[in-house]
Amino acid sequence: MKPLPYTIAALAATLCLTSCLDENPKDQLDAEQIYTSASEIYTNAVASLYVNMGSNTESEGLQGTCRGIYDYNTLTTDEAIIPIRGGDWYDGGLWQNMYLHTWTASDTYLYNVWKYLYRVIVKCNESLATIDGHAQLLSETQLAAYKAEVKAIRALFYYYAMDMFGRIPLVTSTSIEADQVVQSERSEVFRFIVSELQGVLPLLADEHSNLEGTYYGRVTRPVAHFLLAKLALNAVVYADDDWTDGEAVDGSSVSFTVDGQILNAWDACVAYCEKLRDEGYRLADDYASNFAVHNASSPENIFTIPLDKNLYTAEFHYLFRSRHYNHGGAYGGASENGTSATLHAMQVYGYGTDTPDARLALNYYTDTVWVDGAKVMLDNGKPLIYRPLAIEVNLTNSQFKQTAGARMAKYEVDRSAYADGRQVDNDIVLFRYADALLMEAEAKVRNGQSGQAEMDEVRSRVGMDTKEATLENILDERLLELSWEGWRRQDLIRHGLYHKAYDQRTPSEAEHDAHTTVFPIPQKTLELNTKLKQNPGY
Amino acid sequence: MEKHLAALIPLALAAGIPLQAQIAPVGVPIDTTTAILGAERIDNDQLRKGLVNNALDVLSGQAAGVNVTSNGMERMAMLNSVRVRGTTSIMGGNDPLVIIDGVTSDIQALSTIYPADIESFTILKNASETSMYGSRGASGVIEVKTRKGTGGGFQISYEGNYGFASAYKHLDMLSASEYLATASALGQYANDGGHDTNFFDAITRTAFVHNHHLAFSGGTEQQNYRASFGYINHETVIREMGYDNFVVKLDVTQKAFGDRLTGDFGIFGSSANNHDIFDNHMLFYSAACQNPTYPAGRDANGNWTKNSAASHINPPGALLHERNDQKDMGFNTHLRLTYNIMEGLELSAFGSYLYSSTENAQFCPTWVWAQGNVFRGELKKSDWLGSLSLNYEKSLGQHKIKASLGGEYMKTVTDQFFVQVKGIASNDFEYSNIGAASTRQYGGTGSSYEDHALASLAATLSYTLMDCYSLSVTTRGDGSSMVGDDHTWGFFPSVSASWDVKKEAFAKPWRNVSMLRLKTGYGQSGNLGALSAYNTMATVSQVGIVPVNNTPTVVLGTTRNNNPDLRWETKSTFNLGLDLGLWANRVVLTAEYYYSKTTDMLYAYDVPVPTFAYDKLVANIGSMENSGWEFGLSVTPIQRKDMELNINMNLSLQRNKLLSLEGNYNGMHISADNVTAMGALYGAGQNGGDNNVVYQIVGQPLGVFYLPHCTGLYLDDQGHYKYQIADLDGDGRIDLSDGGDRYIAGQATPKATLGSNISFRYKDFYVAMQVNGAFGHKVFNGTSLQYNNMSGFPDYNVLRGAPEKNIVDQNISDYWLEDGDYVNIEQLTVGYQVPMRSRVIRALRVSANVSNLCTLTGYSGLTPMVNSYVANSTLGIDDKRSYPLFRTYTLGLSVQF
Repeated sequence: MKPLPYTIAALAATLCLTSCLDENPKDQLDAEQIYTSASEIYTNAVASLYVNMGSNTESEGLQGTCRGIYDYNTLTTDEAIIPIRGGDWYDGGLWQNMYLHTWTASDTYLYNVWKYLYRVIVKCNESLATIDGHAQLLSETQLAAYKAEVKAIRALFYYYAMDMFGRIPLVTSTSIEADQVVQSERSEVFRFIVSELQGVLPLLADEHSNLEGTYYGRVTRPVAHFLLAKLALNAVVYADDDWTDGEAVDGSSVSFTVDGQILNAWDACVAYCEKLRDEGYRLADDYASNFAVHNASSPENIFTIPLDKNLYTAEFHYLFRSRHYNHGGAYGGASENGTSATLHAMQVYGYGTDTPDARLALNYYTDTVWVDGAKVMLDNGKPLIYRPLAIEVNLTNSQFKQTAGARMAKYEVDRSAYADGRQVDNDIVLFRYADALLMEAEAKVRNGQSGQAEMDEVRSRVGMDTKEATLENILDERLLELSWEGWRRQDLIRHGLYHKAYDQRTPSEAEHDAHTTVFPIPQKTLELNTKLKQNPGY
Repeated sequence: MEKHLAALIPLALAAGIPLQAQIAPVGVPIDTTTAILGAERIDNDQLRKGLVNNALDVLSGQAAGVNVTSNGMERMAMLNSVRVRGTTSIMGGNDPLVIIDGVTSDIQALSTIYPADIESFTILKNASETSMYGSRGASGVIEVKTRKGTGGGFQISYEGNYGFASAYKHLDMLSASEYLATASALGQYANDGGHDTNFFDAITRTAFVHNHHLAFSGGTEQQNYRASFGYINHETVIREMGYDNFVVKLDVTQKAFGDRLTGDFGIFGSSANNHDIFDNHMLFYSAACQNPTYPAGRDANGNWTKNSAASHINPPGALLHERNDQKDMGFNTHLRLTYNIMEGLELSAFGSYLYSSTENAQFCPTWVWAQGNVFRGELKKSDWLGSLSLNYEKSLGQHKIKASLGGEYMKTVTDQFFVQVKGIASNDFEYSNIGAASTRQYGGTGSSYEDHALASLAATLSYTLMDCYSLSVTTRGDGSSMVGDDHTWGFFPSVSASWDVKKEAFAKPWRNVSMLRLKTGYGQSGNLGALSAYNTMATVSQVGIVPVNNTPTVVLGTTRNNNPDLRWETKSTFNLGLDLGLWANRVVLTAEYYYSKTTDMLYAYDVPVPTFAYDKLVANIGSMENSGWEFGLSVTPIQRKDMELNINMNLSLQRNKLLSLEGNYNGMHISADNVTAMGALYGAGQNGGDNNVVYQIVGQPLGVFYLPHCTGLYLDDQGHYKYQIADLDGDGRIDLSDGGDRYIAGQATPKATLGSNISFRYKDFYVAMQVNGAFGHKVFNGTSLQYNNMSGFPDYNVLRGAPEKNIVDQNISDYWLEDGDYVNIEQLTVGYQVPMRSRVIRALRVSANVSNLCTLTGYSGLTPMVNSYVANSTLGIDDKRSYPLFRTYTLGLSVQF
């Protein structure tokens, strides 16, 4: 074989064969194929972001699944705990570490939360680029409205990311290279979120997003108002770039521009809460109706994750995770016998006293449990009795190993649920108006005014007498009204209590500097971007 | 004969066409040890093992460096478990290429061939040998040659095996009375269901097995055929489960134009059913831990008694009602035309088509899954392959030259769909009426399509001087559709040389030395086995379903980071070997050293989020090395007319090291974790947290145990024993997480593996034994860790002896890490060749066989034969999955007419 003919033959064959070496996907499309009209751009660049609100994947979704944002904001507080029950729920110390604040930067689930939040942020940036890139297919109104909605969604995810991780990178465009990513101070991120939300407010639809219809599940103007109220109320925390120095920021020194007026944080919070009232939100007559199987008509819920076991894929795992095996069995499925109320929560609710709060029975299963007119029975033939006061971090040697702790109720049990009660029709309530009222009460008190009217409004809805609207009482009221809704960590931090001793928890020596009020930047994130710095104290 | 083959194999290699096209005519006995260049050939006579389930069992233990995980954990060879010289790629593509009569195939297809249809296996391991298959052969090649017509007139043969399998050992859990007594001694309440059930006995049975094979052949040298039918039907020792396989095969050879043209046509079809356990872990965990006072069957009301507090297990009897059935239908056909153009010049054209369909049907009754669950799916795969090669051979005195040029094109299309429903109307439909269900969720139906293509060009030149020195050079270009457009073609050269020392004048006086050869080679090959199609393209597909304008709407978007810059993963291999035969080859020793390094290694590397949307990017970055020694020893101490004893042994020493997982990607430094967990324990109280056991660690072999160190047990203030964990990093704190108080405690893959077969014949009687072994690795006894832990009692039953041990702790540590060394007697066969004087019956043989006779090991659990080869989440971990140990006893009959 001579070299020359060989080379020629090889070249010829190479050219011929290379064309046979193309791939022809049929089950995937080229990205340019899915943005050919205004409605496709809306569906695939804007609406597609909403698949990330809920989830069926662990550590993903704003609420509904386990080992994610909700757990880090709830099981790390005086509200709820997953105790070790002998062979169950040890899970390598995961839940104990949450309760005791002994998590580390190498915690897998913290990294999973980080990846989830930033994935959505990056996708928002991509959507903005896509919308701009196809602007010729859109009217001016569409262009502005689509971009506004994406920016509002991005602000929402930045809010959760900042709340958990403090100093985080602000990445707002797809043109930034990985090695250009640097952290911003928490206050900068906070200011960015506020200004983004304020900027898009006029372009967002003035619609109730919890109602079925065109705006169902979307980030509308009231959702942004609620989020701005939260940002204002917690501005004292978010504007503090040095949270381990023991010095707090004064809320009256943080200013907001609302409707052209410069307001302090408390006044801004009140202003945004009042906008919600003006937008027609009110307390539902029946507290429980907000969490009913069909709760999409609530006048009170502001922002929800639409769930429908037959249509959508997002799930709600918390009832399944909490109730006793036989309790779930009585509903026809399995259960995990995990999450319980803390002792502190039971004390605030007045469990065991003559005058418990009216919401105790709405939010918890205690003592004997009835399903379909019959007591739930244990395998030993005796009735199941939950023991709220027997709860401990480690129940392995307790005689109430499996029955200690009041369990989560709140959401109506969907009797036609799938997947052992994880696939239900109850929409998951993220924001609701009762919270706004309590925010308003707190902001007023902090501003030297009275928040009594708002607090009374919340209490009287469930038939409870008035109680003085002090900061301490408002914090308790928030537990009474909002338990199981994922707000407790933020509330404790704002009241300076999160890193202190409470319930059955004694903080470590190292925690006195309050560094645990912000989670560590995940170790993996630091390794992949060496420009990022760990949060103080870790 | 020896010389004959020595000449043939380099020719085949050089020619770039499969070996058997040129190899000696069927039926000629070939001394396996004479194969040079390391290509290891195993004849079926050597393979006669008594009862075998499939062709993979035949292969197990026969060749150095070839590992097949079988028995113990799985009842038969696992399809994904065949490894030639271990794992060389981290992400995938470690399955060896299987070539059946020249047709590109896979392990799955090999497993469906009836063992009696196999003439021989040839194992190609070195790059210079696999070069003829290019990238497809990067992880080794198993060439299978099937039996063909002999041209010797009409013949018919029948071969059958009949027998049974039965379990002889299972874990010894507390009996009902012990269980109740233990609970009462501990002051704990335990339900007394009033029965005394051993759930292992309840789920096992004596299983009937039978195999049949009928073959006939006929014709002349110019025109002949062979047809065969095989049927295997095995129940397994686990009730309800079993498998069967029906195969047909036809081969025709025709010569024409004065024997200048040879045409070979073959067709092969198989239909296999496999009724498998839906979830091994769940079934065996449940059988071990179910309350022994509960009934084996249903109660008077037709319900299964479930301990609802034991949420990780289910009534074992109910689990046997789950269905996990697979039906594989395969069809392949090939045609080869070889034309002798002139003396020494030959043109060969080959084409093949392969079609396979795998249907999966699964059913979970409402007793174990709320709302039940039914799954049906089908995967269809078509492969087209065409090749052309031109071979030239010329001898001029002492010089011999061979050259060949070939091209090949292959296209594969995979098409699949599945449907999953819930809310079933009745458990009695099982999976047969998927319409009788209320719910078909988004994500519960799906289909996919994938196509990829591969093209190759190769040229080989080899030169032999005085039948003594040989040198062969191959250059090869492989083109694939799956890599980036700028990297379509990869070039992979190889070179090999051999020296037949015995041919030298100075070796002539060495009377006792009958063979002495040295051989060496170096070569590169590309591997893309880890990739699926379209990784380089920025494609979109559905990402979810959301309400848009009040209508549930499927939205599209990206689902992964794409990498337009993907390239070929390259493996470079060096080998050096020696073949030594003494005393007329009564003793044959082979030794070979190899070293291979994988570079541009494909892996899903970590990239930062942000700015990437997803945290993994498949890229070519890292490297890994493998090296080892392979020894073969074949001794025939007795070789007389009435008596013969043969001992064959092979020993492989293997070392694997993950060198690096970092490098540059488009100017950006990217890497993967230096420490990545591969496998964890699963069970009650072991979800997440610090339950990882086996890791992939840079600088270590793939799959090492990275564990906390337990210094012993201590009594806690509650009066229970706990594992005392050492503070290895001395920071005054026990940290069980990765990077905390952990150390590398051993490797999961064996450092040495042994295969041995011993056969002894006395007159017409013979005895044959197959022994396999593995050494130098560890097994994590997670089963004992969990079944000795009293913290789950009485919801979960424990091992007899656990109450006395009084351990209330389930932390992972090296306490339960044990040596995995074992020697297993896989097969023992006794046979009798009945002397025949009949005109009708030409040969008759009867035999009796026991498989899995016994295992010699110091391992304290049920069996150390867990997965010790395949780098996945079960590697090296005995985690409640092991079958009860069983033996199979069979009688065999073989008749030739």
